[in-house]
Amino acid sequence: MDGDIEISIDKLPIKRLDAIEENGTERFPSDVDYDEKRLNLIRRIDFGWAVEREDRSKKRKSEGTTSANESTTTNQHTGQWQSLVENLQFAQQELSVIIDLINTVEANDAVTVAGMTRPKQLPNELLSDLAVSTATKLQCFWHLGKYFKQSAAALEKQVAREARFYGALIRLQQNWKVKRHRLVAAASGNAGFFIDLFYNTLYDTSVSLRPSSMSTIPIEHDAAGMLAVNVPPNSCRSLRFEFLGSHSANNVRRSGETNMHAFSEDSSTETNKEHANDDECVRKTHSLLREVHRAIFDEQVFELVSREACNSSLSVNLTGIQENYLRLSINQGASVSISLLLSSQDNKTDIVSGTNSSETETIPSELSDWSKFREGKDNVKKLGFPNRISFEIYLQQLFHEYVFVRAKDKTSSSFRSLISGQQSKDNLNILDHFCMSLAHSIFSNKVLSELESLVCRTPYVQLISHPTWHSRTSSWTLSMKVPQSILHVGSQILSSGISNVKNVRSQFWSKVVVIDESISVEGVGDLNVVGLFNGKPESICPINRYECDLADLPIILLQQVASQVIQWLHEEALTVGIKVTRDFLSLAFELDHGEIASLVAHVDPEDTRGCISWWLMMDDGITENHKLHPDLSIGESESRKFLGHLSLDVLYSTLLDFVNLCSC
Amino acid sequence: RLQNVEKRIVRVLELAGGVMDEMASQSGPRKELVNNHCSEFMQLIKDIQFALREEIKSACEYRPFEKCDYVPRISNEICYKKLEYVIAQLDEMKQTIEGYRNAA
Repeated sequence: MDGDIEISIDKLPIKRLDAIEENGTERFPSDVDYDEKRLNLIRRIDFGWAVEREDRSKKRKSEGTTSANESTTTNQHTGQWQSLVENLQFAQQELSVIIDLINTVEANDAVTVAGMTRPKQLPNELLSDLAVSTATKLQCFWHLGKYFKQSAAALEKQVAREARFYGALIRLQQNWKVKRHRLVAAASGNAGFFIDLFYNTLYDTSVSLRPSSMSTIPIEHDAAGMLAVNVPPNSCRSLRFEFLGSHSANNVRRSGETNMHAFSEDSSTETNKEHANDDECVRKTHSLLREVHRAIFDEQVFELVSREACNSSLSVNLTGIQENYLRLSINQGASVSISLLLSSQDNKTDIVSGTNSSETETIPSELSDWSKFREGKDNVKKLGFPNRISFEIYLQQLFHEYVFVRAKDKTSSSFRSLISGQQSKDNLNILDHFCMSLAHSIFSNKVLSELESLVCRTPYVQLISHPTWHSRTSSWTLSMKVPQSILHVGSQILSSGISNVKNVRSQFWSKVVVIDESISVEGVGDLNVVGLFNGKPESICPINRYECDLADLPIILLQQVASQVIQWLHEEALTVGIKVTRDFLSLAFELDHGEIASLVAHVDPEDTRGCISWWLMMDDGITENHKLHPDLSIGESESRKFLGHLSLDVLYSTLLDFVNLCSC
Repeated sequence: RLQNVEKRIVRVLELAGGVMDEMASQSGPRKELVNNHCSEFMQLIKDIQFALREEIKSACEYRPFEKCDYVPRISNEICYKKLEYVIAQLDEMKQTIEGYRNAA
């Protein structure tokens, strides 16, 4: 160092000696150590030019060192200082560049990074990444689990709902035809099921019935998911058969009618007993379907009836047609109406007076009281009208059997014979048969009322009715039985030694048969005309049969009964041993002195106290006129005594009295 | 039987949900439970398949309504009406008898 040059540099880097050679030259390490270190640190920022600088500085350093090595010791320091200054300048430049860079980065200008190697992850970063992914996966799982559970619950509910629906549907299907529209299923939301209630008969091509509007019923879901069948409330019609001129005296409401309105509503309570409600629901649906089915059948019947009424002309006269209403007149002047009524109109009827002119009772139009109801009933009876319900049912049954049942088995001939009877035509007309049955029924009711009035007033005659299984035939029997007491007495007398033992008839009958409004009467005990003139005691009494009118019926029957009584008395007298002769309605006893006492029967159907009354006529052979006119009721005279209405006991005792009077 | 199948399907879904829940649980899935669930799941699937196969085999072909009973049904309705009528008549007779008995 020459002189004392004071260099005022702030920080003088401390140079460390690398080595000291033997010749005293001090070898200093490369110069810009301090800056070099800085540069090396900055090199981490990986700037390319820093590397150049480094190289340059290295060259310079090498130059610097070589120059330093070449120079003497004197130049050493100046060389050192020069290189130091140069290095400092370079460092300053680089620092200024870096400072600029940092400034721009701080100002958030875009800095393009040429490339960057990923820093190696530290283990805790790895772990945290793993933890995050695991957590997200767990979250997914949990969501999935929740989703599964939700869908399980929803599916369960749906399954339960559908189980109810399909369970009910299966139960319905056991009884009704359930069909399915595929196309409708897509349109509406309810699987397109419906119930088909139509059944077409294949019997006759002319008898083809068109399906009514009600025959397909859709099945829907109701509010609770259960099966529901909705039918508009007033669409079911029922067949009604009426006699015109008589208000429905039979006001018995059909208990089978159900309230249609109740079915179009839901039963919304399904809290506790779901099964009970399901059963109820199905049962209600069943009854509803039954109702509709029956209504369809009624409509079909009505249609058939109207067709036949328009075609035939045998015994049916169609007198009126309206939309759902037909009026027919039966040949005896009675009119009936067949109509299709809505079930709400059950008690509403038309009153048209078309009755028989002989019956003149006018029936009040409102039967509100019980007494009036009774009166109506009696009037109906008087008119001879049978119960209209029975004929309604009969009409339905006829059509059903004929049209539907016969379609199946065409070999059954019983029904055919039932209808046609004598006629062997092939086109059977049901309506004709029906109307003839109706007429017959009316007529036979009249006959029956006559018979009843007769029998009421004759105490020893009984009326027995025989069921005939043909709708146009009826038969009754008037039977007279000898009471037991007389039989006992008779047997006592017999056992007391009379030789004339004969089996006396103890039962007499007369039979009345009505076929299609013609009456025929037959009976035992009718007097054989031949036997009358013979006067033989053992007269043959065959069974006779003849026809008669309704008007003549009472008298004929009474006469028959009376003659039966006479005959019985005759036989009894013969067994007892009295000499007796028999006439048509009288029995003549021969008395001691040639006198003839005759017991005469008098028949009078109008007599309110009794139909058969007895007269005792004494005849001493002179006045024979009276004998021929036994039914003159002029009054009692000496030779004639009115005995009154006698029972069989009294007659028998009278007979026995005669025993005493008779000589033999 | 098909209803049982449906119930099994529901149960299967529940099981799947249960397994998912298990996996999502914080403390790690319990192996036993998961195993049980999975085995039950497989069993149920097998049962379902079996049952369905049986049903399909035993399902008969479609015979549309060969035994339609609508006609006897109507006869039944008519008989019912007849019965109602007869009962009404009998009731009337009974009333008459009662009337006579009360009067006597």
